[in-house]
Amino acid sequence: MPAPLLVVSNLCTYLQNGIETVKAVDGVSFTINKGETFCLVGESGSGKSITALSVIRLLPYGIASHPNGQILFNNQDLLQVDEAELRTIRGSQIAMIFQEPMTSLNPVFTVGDQIMEALQLHNPDMTAEEAQERAIQALEQVQIPNSRERMNTFPHQLSGGQRQRVMIAMALACEPELLIADEPTTALDVTVQAEILRLMRHLQDTTGMSILFITHDFGVVAQMAHQVGVMQHGKLVEVGLVEQVLNRPRHVYTHQLLEAVPENLARHKNPALTKSLSEAHLIAEPLLQLRHVNVWFPIKKGVFRQVVDHNKAVDDVSLDIAKGQIVALVGESGCGKTTLGRAVLQLEKPSSGSIKMQGSELVGLSASEMRPWRSKMQMVFQDPQSSLNPRLLIETTLTEPMAVHGIGANQEERLELAAKTLERMQLKREHLWRYPHEFSGGQRQRIGLARALVLNPTFIVCDEITSALDVSVQAEILKLLLELRAERDLTLLFITHNIGVVEYLSDQTVVMYKGRIVELGPTAAVCGSPQQDYTKKLLAAVPRLTLNA
Amino acid sequence: MTKQLISQETLSRRLLRKTLAGPGVKFALFWIGTLVFCAVFAPFLANSMPLIMSKNGQIFFPVLTYLSIEDLVVLAAFFTILVLWVLPLKLKFRVNLALLAAVIAAVSVLANIYLKPPQLVIYDDFRTSTYIETDWRVMPPIPYAPQDYLRDYGDTGLEPPLASKATDHKRLHLMGTEENGADVLSRMIHASRIALSIGIVATSISMILGIIIGGFMGYFSGVVDMIGMRLVEIFEAIPTLFLLLTFVAFFGRSLYMMMIIIGVTSWSGYARYIRAEFLKLRRQDYVQAAVAAGLPLHSILFRHMLPNGVAPLLVAASFGVASAILAEATLSFLGLGLVEEPSWGQMLDQSVTSASFNWWMAVFPGGAIFLTVFAYTLIGEAFRDAIDPNLSREAGVQ
Repeated sequence: MPAPLLVVSNLCTYLQNGIETVKAVDGVSFTINKGETFCLVGESGSGKSITALSVIRLLPYGIASHPNGQILFNNQDLLQVDEAELRTIRGSQIAMIFQEPMTSLNPVFTVGDQIMEALQLHNPDMTAEEAQERAIQALEQVQIPNSRERMNTFPHQLSGGQRQRVMIAMALACEPELLIADEPTTALDVTVQAEILRLMRHLQDTTGMSILFITHDFGVVAQMAHQVGVMQHGKLVEVGLVEQVLNRPRHVYTHQLLEAVPENLARHKNPALTKSLSEAHLIAEPLLQLRHVNVWFPIKKGVFRQVVDHNKAVDDVSLDIAKGQIVALVGESGCGKTTLGRAVLQLEKPSSGSIKMQGSELVGLSASEMRPWRSKMQMVFQDPQSSLNPRLLIETTLTEPMAVHGIGANQEERLELAAKTLERMQLKREHLWRYPHEFSGGQRQRIGLARALVLNPTFIVCDEITSALDVSVQAEILKLLLELRAERDLTLLFITHNIGVVEYLSDQTVVMYKGRIVELGPTAAVCGSPQQDYTKKLLAAVPRLTLNA
Repeated sequence: MTKQLISQETLSRRLLRKTLAGPGVKFALFWIGTLVFCAVFAPFLANSMPLIMSKNGQIFFPVLTYLSIEDLVVLAAFFTILVLWVLPLKLKFRVNLALLAAVIAAVSVLANIYLKPPQLVIYDDFRTSTYIETDWRVMPPIPYAPQDYLRDYGDTGLEPPLASKATDHKRLHLMGTEENGADVLSRMIHASRIALSIGIVATSISMILGIIIGGFMGYFSGVVDMIGMRLVEIFEAIPTLFLLLTFVAFFGRSLYMMMIIIGVTSWSGYARYIRAEFLKLRRQDYVQAAVAAGLPLHSILFRHMLPNGVAPLLVAASFGVASAILAEATLSFLGLGLVEEPSWGQMLDQSVTSASFNWWMAVFPGGAIFLTVFAYTLIGEAFRDAIDPNLSREAGVQ
């Protein structure tokens, strides 16, 4: 029986918001053993990050209070110790890494300086040389090549994955007993995520530290955890060993969450919605025809801003999209998938190539020539925060494009249409008279979808529309998309990095890498038996729910 | 109120309602309203001539005979706005604006043709028997014109408010007199015209220029942005004061020219603000969505982007009004301002240049400038809050 390192019992964290008190964490109890990983899973707002911040006592005084509970770390109650003592524990015994590798490193100091500062703070008698040696060792530990030279690089010179490695190196330099990782891989690509997860497991094996791992991704849980705690509304609804929780969930909520994971969704797919395309459909003229499309951004240098090179965001892409199909466009960040989606809609002017919609050329059309096509092809965006104009009522957002395209004879008719579309999106008619900030992320995505649909488009580009959403909300939106496709005979270009979603939703899959298409074909073929090395690597990196025992 | 009812309320009306609810706005509007009232009815409020008089059974309106073209245009504009506001005409804002412009144009043309006010007015005449020995007469509340130097009273000059010398002569100057002997209150009332008009007109000119140029720079970026920025730099290099000096030397002193020059040279700040905001907003998804929906350019620029980027501009504008008033004051100080016509800056300047410190020459115009600038700032802040739905708790519902 391994010895417990951290015992949290009946922890309550209340946040004071004006006169309102929010019970962010409400009676949470769990134990982390030495050398084990405890995963906290839950949807956004469930209190998992607040729990972690309570453990390391990083919540601001005056706003957060702990009316109840105990956090025993090596038999010392962290809720009772004073600030001076806490500082000696933070960093040296409990370390934390954050979600965003872009902002958690200080951009004006070199990587080496930042690691050495942390080291010398906690070991005052360590000399600069010793600290430097230790820092280089730490960088080696996180498998950064040429670690001696890397000491002198600035954070902006590193990639996202490398930055996260540096963060881990910083956290590990003082050899903490507990590492708190708050969604450390959420902002990273799957292949990088797989490497970081492998690294963390390796480091745990060699150093014997415990990890409190916070995530919303059950795939990651399956890869990392020894124990899992599922949180909902500030309460820990289920705690147990990973095999037990993932395979035989006892709580209804855990069950729901697992059902909503795209991998599991596929098993309950309504066959009526996935009517396979008839042969005639495929042979007929494709709805959209892309030939040798290039989107190059010039790199300018020097006094006269000469073009020295091009950043080839989209490089010689040819693609046919048949009517009524859902085509998934997958790839890692920066591979040009969003740029391609925008180029199809002429939001980004292609440098060369041809894009034909229903046989007519779109490249080179002026804004006014493009207008009639605009209503036929629409886009739904990734970020629910910025996709709706915060200054306009939903009513205006929905009816203005309709008026421009002459849909509906008068404003009353357009309002009626907009209300009906909202109701179809499972929103209420009254929501027309609200501002975007009054809605949740999932609701905003529905409104974004409604804005696209009011124009009766035949083709919609969905740019990562579910990546900012919780799994259960994502599941609802995906279901809705399938229903809409069947109702309206829509064609979708679904841009995503989530392979689970691809498998659930799409008919065709296109894999992009560095601006080029590396593989395309029916989803079952591409995901089932990939031909190209890159596709194989990508698919292997996806954290699956199935446990690798 | 139900939600359905509110929706009928147009955006501009909702903004107006919310702006009015802002802190201190009622006071600010009261002050600006007082100024507007003073500005429009200045000849009837402070003048040396009677409003109405009856002589030998005949009724005369001396004020009306001496009304200048500007007075008439201002009055016409004011009443047109009042009529459009009060009458329950469901006209579009654009139609209203066109009507107003048409009325102003018509009145100014007609006034130029038919109105022949006397070139030279000798105010002392109004205190001679021709005007005093009447059956009855109604004088304005302040019976002194701003350029009435009270020469008939002999040695007049700087007199503090309610000075004994003045009361001996049966004169009453609530705010004293200035160095030439003119009534300060009368000059204050007439100066409110210049303060209001130069602030509003110059700032409007620079804001319209700034928004259009800055908007195009930010939205199109690239070459347009580069040319625009060079233009901004050129205009920032022009010293307004010396340009005004040159123009005054060539074309003489004119209030309108001052407005235009202050406006045309100070748009670059607004253009920079709007450009920065638009560069940021252009990449926002909702702007991209507006482009993807095929909305026309003016709607994208002015409906989807401008309201989101206008907040810093409004604060800048409220200070712009203030600095335009100060610019006029500076010009007056240098002797390049209007000579005869009173302005607050010029009066403030008198308090400094004379040998002794004359508190009434500093306090009243200085206080008026302070209150006006303060009022504009309050309105600017309230408008910024009103335009931001995130700040109102029950936006759209209440």
